[in-house]
Amino acid sequence: MTDSVINRLVAGPPAPGHRISFIRLGSRRTLDLTELYEQSGHVAAYLRSLGVEAGDRIGILAANSLEWVLLDLAALRLKVVVAGFEPGKFTDAAELVARYGLTVLFTDRDVPANAPAAVRTFTEVAGAAARAWPDPPGPVVYEPGEVTTIKFTSGSTGAPKGLGATVGSIDASLQAVQEIFEHRGDDDLFVFLPLSLLQQRYWLYSALCFGHDATVTTYEAAFAALATARPTVVMGVPAFFEAARQQISRDAARADGIAPDTARRTAARRLFGDRIRYLWTGSAPADREVLRYLTDAGLPIYEGYGLNETCIVSKNHPGAHRQGSVGRVLRGKEVLFDADGVILVRSEHPVNQRYEFAGPGDSERMFVADGVVRTGDLGYVDEDGFLFIQGRADDVIVLGNGKKVIVRPIEEHMRTSPAIEECVVFCPAQTSLVAVVSPASDPADLEAIAGQLARTNAAFGRDEQIRKIVVASPRPSIANGMLTSQFKPKRQAIFAAFQAEIMNNQDGIHAQ
Amino acid sequence: MPSDVETIARDNLSAALQPAADPHELELDLELTDYGLTSLQKVLFLTRLCEDLAVDLAHLTERDVAEMRTLHDVVDTLSRYAGKAS
Repeated sequence: MTDSVINRLVAGPPAPGHRISFIRLGSRRTLDLTELYEQSGHVAAYLRSLGVEAGDRIGILAANSLEWVLLDLAALRLKVVVAGFEPGKFTDAAELVARYGLTVLFTDRDVPANAPAAVRTFTEVAGAAARAWPDPPGPVVYEPGEVTTIKFTSGSTGAPKGLGATVGSIDASLQAVQEIFEHRGDDDLFVFLPLSLLQQRYWLYSALCFGHDATVTTYEAAFAALATARPTVVMGVPAFFEAARQQISRDAARADGIAPDTARRTAARRLFGDRIRYLWTGSAPADREVLRYLTDAGLPIYEGYGLNETCIVSKNHPGAHRQGSVGRVLRGKEVLFDADGVILVRSEHPVNQRYEFAGPGDSERMFVADGVVRTGDLGYVDEDGFLFIQGRADDVIVLGNGKKVIVRPIEEHMRTSPAIEECVVFCPAQTSLVAVVSPASDPADLEAIAGQLARTNAAFGRDEQIRKIVVASPRPSIANGMLTSQFKPKRQAIFAAFQAEIMNNQDGIHAQ
Repeated sequence: MPSDVETIARDNLSAALQPAADPHELELDLELTDYGLTSLQKVLFLTRLCEDLAVDLAHLTERDVAEMRTLHDVVDTLSRYAGKAS
């Protein structure tokens, strides 16, 4: 038996007895994984009938669905590379075909009459999956350096960068995750983030290879699907779990005559179902209060760290977990630091050595040498091997006296106050820090914010003192362009909006 | 005189907002996003509202949810199903 997850997956059907469910609002479909595998063979035959061959690239522009998964598996079985495009972020099918050299692009969107013949509908895929085809695809074997898919990663400007993911990196990540989380027969992994993100497809590969159930739904339907799906594991981003915490808190507050701890646990089960083994989060820094709240509610949640370019680098897990860290570094990964303290990641099996699609210089900035990736994040590893992320290297403020201040720990400390929703620290004159605070209530609780300012200043060193707080009005939101779609503050936009208050010495709450 | 569906919808939307707002002050025709409701929070709000109204969420498609942009839209859509067995 091969050690390669991908090679096991394409070698033949999975063991029977495990199921995959596709849940949308208003519909649910469940099939055995063996049936999924069989249908992927039909879709592979259909792809061949369109002239798609090993080494070609196909695109998928669609929301999560059975057809998405069938196309991905069919492509794997033919050694065809998949480029997944998230609807909303990508729109123009014809342009995608041309820009990324796609043999065919499949979409669940409306196809314009003037679209090129290479643009095909999901209806065709569904029809092909239901048909019997004469020749199932033959066996294939992958080498570790072969690419199965293009991952797209948002750049700070311009078009997303495209990165080919190697089989070796996928295998290494899936094996390392299986080692620490031991997904097993009675597990059901809940996937609602876009399947265009390769890591979301990992959990389906895991189901096929290691033998467990999986549930696939959409971002919009996720909360509605949870209680009925009764998953054991939910993979989500911090914004999802923050919304969950708010709902659990509201539901618990509405429960009469029950002890608060019991009410919280009951509300947690109501939202997530009664079988949760753990929750998985990553891709953006998670709020420690949210992690603690969910864990106390009976939903242990584990944060990890990784970039598209490195895949999963570290992960907290039931066997090794330290609060505030992003876990121990996984087998096959090595964390190094450059002279400025920036995290470098070396992988036994790198995702790749350069971008497939990117602007001039992008690859050289990210990929240093020998598969080492320069992450741009600052951090440290403690004496027990747990990795801590302190912020982006770009967020380091250099004061006029040459001292470097990492602002994220200060901002996190400010956010521990229930009166403060968000905090961003600036250094307008290179001499002292000014924080813009988004209040948690309207009107703002100025006394509580001033109290938190005193506590934070007491907790940090001489060069890390906040001189003044600007209470943001209006509060930063996605709608006013001061938060990203992941609810992360946009520093430049916030600075631009409150520049006058940040720069003057009169307004705001001043440190005593 | 607001309908029962509207009253319950106002209570649920009020509870879903950060900070909570007076249910009577909520404007029926204001976009839910203008209240600061994200797409995730909107589904949570609708999920709880459907439970309170005994409306099976399976009646709704993702397109229905996307098209419910205001409290008015929510009340109109769910009024069609409120009181019906699932």
